[in-house]
Amino acid sequence: MNSALRSLVDWLDDRTGLRGLLHEALYERVPGGARWRYVWGSTLVVAFVTQMITGTFLWMAYSPSTQTAWESVFYIQYEMPGGWLLRGMHHYMAHAMVVLLAIHFAQVVWDGAYRAPRELNFVIGVVLMLVVFGLSLTGYLLPWDQKGYWATSVGTNLASQAPVVGPEIRKLAIGGTDYGHHTLTRFLALHAGVLPGLLIALLVPHIALFRRHGLHPREPLKGPDAMFWPDQLLKDSVAALGVVATVLVLALYGGGAELTAPADPANPYNAARPEWYFLFLFQFLKWFPGELEVWGAFVIPGLVVLLLFAMPWIGRSRQGHLFNVGMLVILLGGTALLTAQAIRDDYYAIWYERTEANADKFDASQAFLDAKQEAEREAERVIELARSPSRIPPTGALSMAAKDPYLQGPKLFTQHCAGCHSHEIADRIAYDSKVEPAEFRRTAHQIGLNLVEIQNSDPTAPNLWGVGEKLWMQSFLSPETIADANHFGYQGSPFAEGEMVSFIQEAHGEDLTEEDRKAVEAAFSQIAFALWLEAGTTKLVHPDGLKEVEELANHGRKLITGGLAEVLDSGMSCIDCHKFHDEGELGSAPDLTGYMSREWMIDFIRNPASERFYGEYNDRMPAFAAHDNPQLNQLDVETIGLIVDWLRGDWATPEAEDFSQTE
Amino acid sequence: MSDKKANDAKIKTVSWNRRTFFEMLATVVTGAVAILTPLVAGVIAFLSPLFKKNSSPQVRVALLSQVPDDGMPRSFPVVTDHEDAWTKYPEQRIGSVYLVRQPGESEPMAFTAKCPHAGCFIGFKPGDDLFRCPCHTSAFKLDGSRARGDEEVSPRDMDRLPVQLRTVSAGDDTETTEVWVEFIDFQTGHKEAIPSV
Repeated sequence: MNSALRSLVDWLDDRTGLRGLLHEALYERVPGGARWRYVWGSTLVVAFVTQMITGTFLWMAYSPSTQTAWESVFYIQYEMPGGWLLRGMHHYMAHAMVVLLAIHFAQVVWDGAYRAPRELNFVIGVVLMLVVFGLSLTGYLLPWDQKGYWATSVGTNLASQAPVVGPEIRKLAIGGTDYGHHTLTRFLALHAGVLPGLLIALLVPHIALFRRHGLHPREPLKGPDAMFWPDQLLKDSVAALGVVATVLVLALYGGGAELTAPADPANPYNAARPEWYFLFLFQFLKWFPGELEVWGAFVIPGLVVLLLFAMPWIGRSRQGHLFNVGMLVILLGGTALLTAQAIRDDYYAIWYERTEANADKFDASQAFLDAKQEAEREAERVIELARSPSRIPPTGALSMAAKDPYLQGPKLFTQHCAGCHSHEIADRIAYDSKVEPAEFRRTAHQIGLNLVEIQNSDPTAPNLWGVGEKLWMQSFLSPETIADANHFGYQGSPFAEGEMVSFIQEAHGEDLTEEDRKAVEAAFSQIAFALWLEAGTTKLVHPDGLKEVEELANHGRKLITGGLAEVLDSGMSCIDCHKFHDEGELGSAPDLTGYMSREWMIDFIRNPASERFYGEYNDRMPAFAAHDNPQLNQLDVETIGLIVDWLRGDWATPEAEDFSQTE
Repeated sequence: MSDKKANDAKIKTVSWNRRTFFEMLATVVTGAVAILTPLVAGVIAFLSPLFKKNSSPQVRVALLSQVPDDGMPRSFPVVTDHEDAWTKYPEQRIGSVYLVRQPGESEPMAFTAKCPHAGCFIGFKPGDDLFRCPCHTSAFKLDGSRARGDEEVSPRDMDRLPVQLRTVSAGDDTETTEVWVEFIDFQTGHKEAIPSV
């Protein structure tokens, strides 16, 4: 050794006793030599150190409040260089830690390593295990996404059922009566301060006692004794590297950790489940109906934990040890079974056919899968909006999502419209059969085409898919479709044999000559183009194509305002019943001025029975906002606007905008 | 060096008498007070949520015309001002209710959508004959009672909320009837419906 370095080490040793400490730490006797089976404790220490490192760096970018928690995690995951990897490692190492804990624990019990004088260290170990579970539970909530929010909410509600002090415990845990800012500040303090501190405070004596008692050797010994350094430490390091590598692969493969849509207290997440290692508890609870719950949630788990603490004393005799090993097998086996059962229940609908006998089970599973898919769609959309140039507003991502027609439309439609209307593509798509369906669906969302179907088995009003689109105009002017169930032929429709239907059907009468038929079809086609421009849903049309459309629409407008009378035998045109800009009168049929435009549709939904629309001929459709005083209305105009924008496919399409910019 | 330490220890060994006893007592007490003072201050602040009270606001949830007397449940959001620590959210959705009006009845029944078991949102699909909770698969009939009675995971029937009908006039001679509910948050997991405090 270089003499300068040696004198520096001497100086340090003189003042700190460094050499002695190092010697103490490294030259531990390993009875029977280094073995792979002794590595598990060390891997847990490395796992914890990984969590401390990644956690500290995550903490530097995390902001605990209901308007910033999801937002800051979103930023870590999607904007910060390497943030996704950091978060992914923290996430998957938490999983790995649970697995390593199970191995470490099982090995100690199996080998009887809790026997005197190691009882106290075993007890400390069990407490450490509970602290790690606490870290998992508190960490799950911090991203403040739907998954963590609803799973933790169920967890704390269960905690509130604890005998006597339950409600108070819940209040203290969530920092008030409802989930909010203080839930996050408290969970973060627990997750990043109190629990890691406690863990270190327990880990130090755990390791100190382990060194005091020495390693518990597994008989038969495989060779002569060796030293911890470097024999065992090499094996430990290799194992630690193996664990970190596994976690790294998982993080790379998973692209970081999942981030679902921002937590919304008013929007239930029906697929809320705890992390996989707590699924067994979740499943266990299903076995305890009604007031027996307290047994499943507290009494039995509490007794099991007590039993774990008592294991060193139970295991003093040979029978006692066998009992402990039996318990271990039952606990691990039961956990595995319950976990498998929970997964099978949730994914039942994928693996089995629906029959009369399993209907309930199948439906529950289908509901879970639907909710999961819906949640994924929501998450994808919110993240897309957050990444768009308009970014997240100061009020947070949730308020951004609340103003997005793409996200709110299906919910609002289901709640307010789906009682009568359906929103199904089925019979409409045939018109655009030139498009390849898979490709169509893939790009539809980006270009603002509404492909969400909301079914109604018994509709009593027209199918609203594609309102205002060219297709909509064409099919209402076509003798084949105007009277079908999607249009005026819905159940109980007074229009099925009304004047509009007979007008269209007679105009295309069978006794027309081929030449006349072509002229009629061309006329209605041009009218459809004119109405399409009134609706203004032409954003998908290429600018060159739009010129052509304008030209056709010009002809169409002339036909609407009287020209049609010269083409048809009946001698009628649109303005004989409808108003169209300055021509025609209101009173007998809906106004065609701005037909199916945003403004037209909002006014229509506000009051379809007004003179501008169906007047006295209105069929059952309620007036959703007929009054000027908003107190008297069923819906506010902003909400109606969201429904209309969703129906028309008018939502922000950041990716499409980018596309047009690059052109 | 270690010999010197041992010598020091020998010299400093104290003999027991009344004076040293009080000295020891004083040391322990003053030390403990010094440490406990900040701890107590922290714990008091930590316990502050215990003094927060839950409120049960009266909320207008729908117009009576939105709840036809066909015995079918309809879901309505509960929208009211909501305060969370330092933030006030005007007109925030804080929950959801189902209104059901039986044939011939003038007043609907109101059920909170919060499951009495663990607080998940109970779902209802139009056309179904049961309310279903997505979490632990509790099911309830359309009158809110548990589908399988005590065998159901939920310890009690769905929680009913007090309903009030209020008539408002619109100035232009029209009158509208509003449905108001008292939005009570009930504790989960008990056989009886106990409002959260």
